[in-house]
Amino acid sequence: MRFVAAMAVRELRASWRRLLFFFLCIALGVGAIVTLRSVIQSVRQVFAGEARALLGADLVVSSTRRIEGEVARKVAARLNAAGALVTRTAETATMARAGGRREGPARMVELKAVGPGFPYYGRLDLEGDLSYTHALVAGGGAIVRPELLAQLGLAVGDTLILGGKDFVVRGVIVSEPGRRLGAFSLGPRVIIDMADLEQTSLLAFGSRVTYQQLVQAPDAALGGLFTALREDVKNTFVRVRSYTTTEGDLGENFARAENYLSLVGLIIVILGGVGVASVTRVFVQQKIRSIAILKCLGATGRQVLAIYLAQVLALGVLGSVAGVFIAMAVMAWIPAFLGPAVTAGITVSYRLTASAVAQGALTGLLVSILFALVPLLEVRQVKPSQLLRDEELLARRDLARLLSILAVGLALMGVTMWQAGSVRIGSIVAFGFAALAVVLYFAGRALIAAVRPLAASSWFPLRHAALQLTRPGGQVHLVLLTVGLGAFFILGVRALQDNLVQEVSVDMARDAPDMFLVDIQRDQLEGVLGTLAAAQPEGAPAARVVPVLRARVTGVSGRDVSLENYEDVRGRGSLAREYTITYRSPLEANEKIIEGAAWDATPAPGGEVSIEASIRDRFGIQVGDTIRFDVLGRVVSATVTSVRRVEWGDSRAGGFMFVFRPGLLDAAPHGYIAFARGPLATVDRARLLGTLAAAYPNVSVIDGREMLATITTVVDNITLAVTVVGSLVVASGLLILIGAVAMTKFRRVYEAAILKTLGATRSVIATMLLLEYAVLGALAGLLGASGAAGLTWALSRFAFDMSYRSPTALLVFGVAACAVTVSAVGVLSSWDVLQRRPLSTLRGR
Amino acid sequence: MITLRGVSKTVRSGDHPLTILHPLDLTVPDGQFLAIVGPSGSGKTTLLGLMAGLDAPTSGTIEVGGAEITALDEDRLAVLRGARIGFVFQFFHLVPSLTALENVLVPMELVGRKGARERATALLAEVGLFERAHHYPTQLSGGEQQRVAIARALANDPPLILADEPTGNLDGQNGRHILDLLLSVRAARKVTLVLVTHDAEIAGLADANLTLRDGRPVPELTTADLGSAR
Repeated sequence: MRFVAAMAVRELRASWRRLLFFFLCIALGVGAIVTLRSVIQSVRQVFAGEARALLGADLVVSSTRRIEGEVARKVAARLNAAGALVTRTAETATMARAGGRREGPARMVELKAVGPGFPYYGRLDLEGDLSYTHALVAGGGAIVRPELLAQLGLAVGDTLILGGKDFVVRGVIVSEPGRRLGAFSLGPRVIIDMADLEQTSLLAFGSRVTYQQLVQAPDAALGGLFTALREDVKNTFVRVRSYTTTEGDLGENFARAENYLSLVGLIIVILGGVGVASVTRVFVQQKIRSIAILKCLGATGRQVLAIYLAQVLALGVLGSVAGVFIAMAVMAWIPAFLGPAVTAGITVSYRLTASAVAQGALTGLLVSILFALVPLLEVRQVKPSQLLRDEELLARRDLARLLSILAVGLALMGVTMWQAGSVRIGSIVAFGFAALAVVLYFAGRALIAAVRPLAASSWFPLRHAALQLTRPGGQVHLVLLTVGLGAFFILGVRALQDNLVQEVSVDMARDAPDMFLVDIQRDQLEGVLGTLAAAQPEGAPAARVVPVLRARVTGVSGRDVSLENYEDVRGRGSLAREYTITYRSPLEANEKIIEGAAWDATPAPGGEVSIEASIRDRFGIQVGDTIRFDVLGRVVSATVTSVRRVEWGDSRAGGFMFVFRPGLLDAAPHGYIAFARGPLATVDRARLLGTLAAAYPNVSVIDGREMLATITTVVDNITLAVTVVGSLVVASGLLILIGAVAMTKFRRVYEAAILKTLGATRSVIATMLLLEYAVLGALAGLLGASGAAGLTWALSRFAFDMSYRSPTALLVFGVAACAVTVSAVGVLSSWDVLQRRPLSTLRGR
Repeated sequence: MITLRGVSKTVRSGDHPLTILHPLDLTVPDGQFLAIVGPSGSGKTTLLGLMAGLDAPTSGTIEVGGAEITALDEDRLAVLRGARIGFVFQFFHLVPSLTALENVLVPMELVGRKGARERATALLAEVGLFERAHHYPTQLSGGEQQRVAIARALANDPPLILADEPTGNLDGQNGRHILDLLLSVRAARKVTLVLVTHDAEIAGLADANLTLRDGRPVPELTTADLGSAR
């Protein structure tokens, strides 16, 4: 044992430079895992204790309808009995405009009305010395986010018009409990008094309002109260949440995010592992003589294996430690990059967590050992007789080797599952990775076969470059695989981003509607359309108007499914959600009947409904089945007479899961939505929004162009993140390339010496190297680019349902960039080959 | 004592079997200095490697000091070599990443010998390299490297020393020094020495000669023959 330790230390002392890449590969991967896990855990730890602040209460009773009648009485009695405090809140999206001006600009805002006592937990922070009390909003006051003031040109003390009523801006919101960082929002937050909301036109029938009762109850009563309330609201549209369930949901979300992110880290570690395997192979090849000497001097195969395993272990540990330091540095840098992460009055401090460090380091260690083991096993096959004559080290296919390859594969799958936190996802990733590697491997082989004819070239450097690439035993495939994979990641996401952004902007460029009006009341319809028509540009198509109602499925009696009541429907997942429905003749330009028959244009009083194909596929509802709906509190039954398929990508006519035959719902109270092509100039759009908001305060206008800007920002951020990961993958690919160069260096130095002796100048040899690596890089780039083109095509076609545009320029650039990078790295790491004088090389041989 | 009975070695050369060493019987008594001579490719080095258990014979048995080494597996052979056989190569074969001292230490560390460091230092002093103990092989001349190799071969006091053309890679003067060193070591320690050489002069110093040609022993031998073989 002491001998093994002493030898391992001595060997490391001599060969650490050659093993530096081993170390880097592990450090990079471990750094990625530790950073990603730590970030998530830092955020999670902060939120874990703050679930009450996020909810602002112990319990929340909520509904998209007014909580009234029987349910309201039951809930009130229950809360009274438990001695709980209750305050009411409501949220809706609406238009806000500056007061005192007839037609100023208007903005969509997320309005929240609160009762006294809000918030029971968490802090509502205001700018300046102001602290929040209910008195601040009571009696026509409003507090708003600073961006709204800027957008409307208002200051504290000015008037804001919401739902036709004037409010005085009394404060500026810095942070608010329950509002999540980076969550999607329709506009800036405005908070007013609940009592004032009742006096606006915003609670008109059919408006999209979420009503909540925030509850603070004694801790002892909480559990029982929660269970009892859940029982009380069973079979109604009222939901009850407690801060403990919120905590659970949050925890689950964070755990999932953490596991997905660390899979990204794991992919980097595994690519690093591929680097480790190739570096180890090089190392063993270079050490054959030393190993033979040790065996000759009496060391057993097991001792020799132990010496090299000990070195791998030491490097794995050191690499992991370095990875932790990298993570530490990155974490220190995050706040500067993201800005202070303050949300809901909670400050997140990013720091390394012990469990992230432990997981990262352990993964690094496991990956070093697993990937180094197979090449290290060759140590056993080194025979001492190799000292007497030069014998090739032949990789014998013995059982032990096969078994260990199998065991290493299984162990790696285990590590993947562990990091993914799920056997299913872990095996999907492991098999996906293996499948991708196999595909890339064979694609690489095909590409190499394609450059083989170059070996017949009469130009000396090109001929020899092609020969180097096509000869067996090199690490050409490995380099193709990793650099190709990295290029695939980067180019794939870039191409997808280009396609997405182009698709959306092309939509905007056509005569497609770019303004969406919701919550138009029946008596407002004519006026709204008139206002729109007056502002629209010449030749723009008239606004389309669609009647909308909101409905829930409360029962299905059918051939395959029978759902007696709302609870049964709830058991079917998303079938229980609230759907927006309409009535009209069943077919729009973007629809096709795939089963049953369309009704004619005549209204019929009997209930007939056409369902979208996904409803049939997911819930097994068939033509001929009867569905019961709760439409604004009334029960309506309708027979399914057809199944439609909607082309969701074609947004011009919108899409509905349930379309009713005209006749049944026409008389029911309902609103309309409208799609219109608005004016192009920003000033004109702002004026139109102002006019609409002034005349029809309850109508909300969603500006498609603004949404586009938001979406573009989100897509940009995702692209940046994937590009960073892709760059790391390319970096590990380049490390492998350097390892491969090192592996073949002895042979190359020798060959170059012979060529030099025969009259080749250094520039000929340099050209040879440059061509070889440029071709290699171009092949890797081609591999990545074709993968990226395939991925973009498949996602465009099947996931986003949009037309595919070949990102040719980007892909050509990608191939060129790969060729340049790989040839630069290849030639630089072959510097020795160029510089060595031939005589010393030949004599040393 | 080393006893070989019917020992042969056949390797595959391309598709054909190639016999490097035809069945051979040989006995080397304890304390003898045996020189194996013959032209290149005659099977000298193969025979030496078989005696050291560096390679397994195709047929026959080899006994070294009463132990039948042909029955031992790779690891047991390694242990036997470490304890009982010192090997000196034409190309020295020092571990390049270890210093001279550490190279001498290795065999002793392998058997867990006490006082290894002092002994290694003494051995280096004995071969005249005390001053250069902490140099790496690349920092030593060929003759110096071979002296380190001899010190290393002596580390565990093996009763048998096998040398494969120990002077073949050295100039005349350095070769002479190495030979003198080996002979004085043999005289002082009464070890068995089997030495492969091209050199008739060296062969002439041995107690006995075995001449090989095309993998077979040549029975009658004169000095003139040795000269022409060279």
